[in-house]
Amino acid sequence: MHALRQLTIANIKSYMRDRAAVFWTLAFPLIFIFLFGFIFQGGGDQTLTIAWVDLDKSAASTQLEGAFSGAPAVKLSDAVDRAAADTLMKAGSADAIVVVPAGYGTALTAAAAGSGPPASLTVVVDPSRSSLLASVNQAVGSVLGVVNLGGRAPLVMTQAETIQTENLTFISYFVPSILGMSVMQLGIFAAVPLVADREKGILKRLAATPLRRSQLVGSNTLMRLLLALVQAVIIVGAGVAFFGVEVTGSFALAAVFVVLGAVSFLSLGYVLASFTKTEDAANGLTQVVQFPMMFLSGVFFPIAAMPPFLQGIARLIPLTYLADALRQVMVGGVPFAPLWVCAAVLLGWLVVCFAIASRKFRWQ
Amino acid sequence: MHPTTAAVAAEPVVRVRGLVKRYGDLVAVDGIDFDVAAGEIFAMLGPNGAGKTTTVEILEGLRAPDAGTASVLGVDVATGSDRIKSRIGVSLQTAALYPKLTVTELIDLFASFYPKARPTDELIDLLELGERRKARSQELSGGQRQRLGVALALVNEPELVFLDEPTTGLDPAARRALWDIILGLKADGRTVFLTTHYLEEAEILCDRVAIMDHGHILEMGTVDELVSKRFKDRAVRLDATDALSDTELAALPAVSHVKRDDGDLLLYTSDVGATIGSLLALTDARGVEAKDLTVRRPTLEDVFLDLTGRALRD
Repeated sequence: MHALRQLTIANIKSYMRDRAAVFWTLAFPLIFIFLFGFIFQGGGDQTLTIAWVDLDKSAASTQLEGAFSGAPAVKLSDAVDRAAADTLMKAGSADAIVVVPAGYGTALTAAAAGSGPPASLTVVVDPSRSSLLASVNQAVGSVLGVVNLGGRAPLVMTQAETIQTENLTFISYFVPSILGMSVMQLGIFAAVPLVADREKGILKRLAATPLRRSQLVGSNTLMRLLLALVQAVIIVGAGVAFFGVEVTGSFALAAVFVVLGAVSFLSLGYVLASFTKTEDAANGLTQVVQFPMMFLSGVFFPIAAMPPFLQGIARLIPLTYLADALRQVMVGGVPFAPLWVCAAVLLGWLVVCFAIASRKFRWQ
Repeated sequence: MHPTTAAVAAEPVVRVRGLVKRYGDLVAVDGIDFDVAAGEIFAMLGPNGAGKTTTVEILEGLRAPDAGTASVLGVDVATGSDRIKSRIGVSLQTAALYPKLTVTELIDLFASFYPKARPTDELIDLLELGERRKARSQELSGGQRQRLGVALALVNEPELVFLDEPTTGLDPAARRALWDIILGLKADGRTVFLTTHYLEEAEILCDRVAIMDHGHILEMGTVDELVSKRFKDRAVRLDATDALSDTELAALPAVSHVKRDDGDLLLYTSDVGATIGSLLALTDARGVEAKDLTVRRPTLEDVFLDLTGRALRD
């Protein structure tokens, strides 16, 4: 354990003293976030579009529709049923859904006569779009406030429902994606110092000591994991602090995916190091691997927006699944694949890469 | 001073029999046998590519031999290299160190690999690295880096220390400083196995020398043995000249043999006076001058030249 700890500390010191490496792992993703964050922050239109589903078709519901459409900065978009409204919202054409249930008119009359509970309305929102929540609540509140003035007890209550939409704000989509990309780079770029250490004969010198190879790989892994977590804190921290990204999901689950992604890409890094002899060659090969991965994995734009043959490629890339899992877990992104599939794909890459590297990696 | 052959046979620290190592078609080590006795400084001497480093790396457990056996400290390297590694010290030909770690950090790091370790400050004093203790290894001079390499080789109080060309590329002062340290290791009772292509280094440091070329050990013994076995004679040297043929030089009185090497003409003789007298008579008769005429005792250099037909220079 002593050797493992000392070697890990030595690795971290070596790393931190390499300014360029520190820049690429820590500052580079931040630059991305700030750059894209400011570009896409833009004003946007402030009108709230509500998909209107009237299942009651009574005088009362028509009156309510009138009240909503008269509210400031609210635009109604009629939908036949809830399914149609969901489609509108997922496509980004509506910011919220209001459902007037069948029997609304009757219930309202009963409530006004004091002989029944308040009538109910369903309001559907996407919790990940935090900036919209306030305007939806405000609009609904102002309309119902007027209606409710008519009775001593509230006549209409709302029931909140949530829905996940694809329409994440750009930065909410981008922050977990960039985190995934950084974890990928941190892992596969481990190949470069590894090949350099072999080329310089450092690995051979270590092999002449009682240090075991498992300790060597272990210390390398520990260092990369630590860096991945630091990276995660910095990237997510910047997104939350400067661009109002709201992390709605579980931090613990996000950390699990960061760790799984880091070891998976690290093992890919060892594979790359197995097939290169010089530091320059390792650098070239990692670039060749990382660039298509970066652009075809849905980090910068959703996979759904890609042509079909590129989507096929995206399906093969491990970063697709890491970035997708992080979006799902952190900001409630719409799944490209279920979480367990994402975990299984990353685990599969880990197992395959580990098997290849343990056969092909040369220590001297 | 030098241990006898009988003592070597008693309990060797290194024992090698019929060792072979091939790299594809190249036979780097071609069936060599030798022993290294406890407490001696043993050198493998030979040009680059002779097979010295391959031999040392097999003994260090870094390479597996293709045939033959090798044992270190009584343990077979084929099966027990893990047990050997904690008891030996190693300095590789290229002092390979993490470039961004300091002298102190590197020694502390290597100390953590072993069950017992010598205090870092003691090693820094021993290798005279005190002023550079906070310097990163990439900032060290060649001599300092080699000394740090030796410090790392000594971190575990090894019984046997392998130094692969420890002084290659060093200036004379740095080389002498390292020689003192190596002699100090012997004084501490450690066995030292070094490879070198400096004959002077082998002459000054070593109890026994094995001369290696093309994967074979050509000759082995103490420096005195090697020299006196081959040359009972002294060497008369002059600048080479084409005006004198080897045949007529060999016919001069008391000359045992003649060697030419890169501008040197060497006459090995049992009677220096007679040889020089007739040599000068010959040069006078030809109207050539015997330039830079000197007489010296044969050295390892002469042994090597005689064995391989070429000089061993860097």
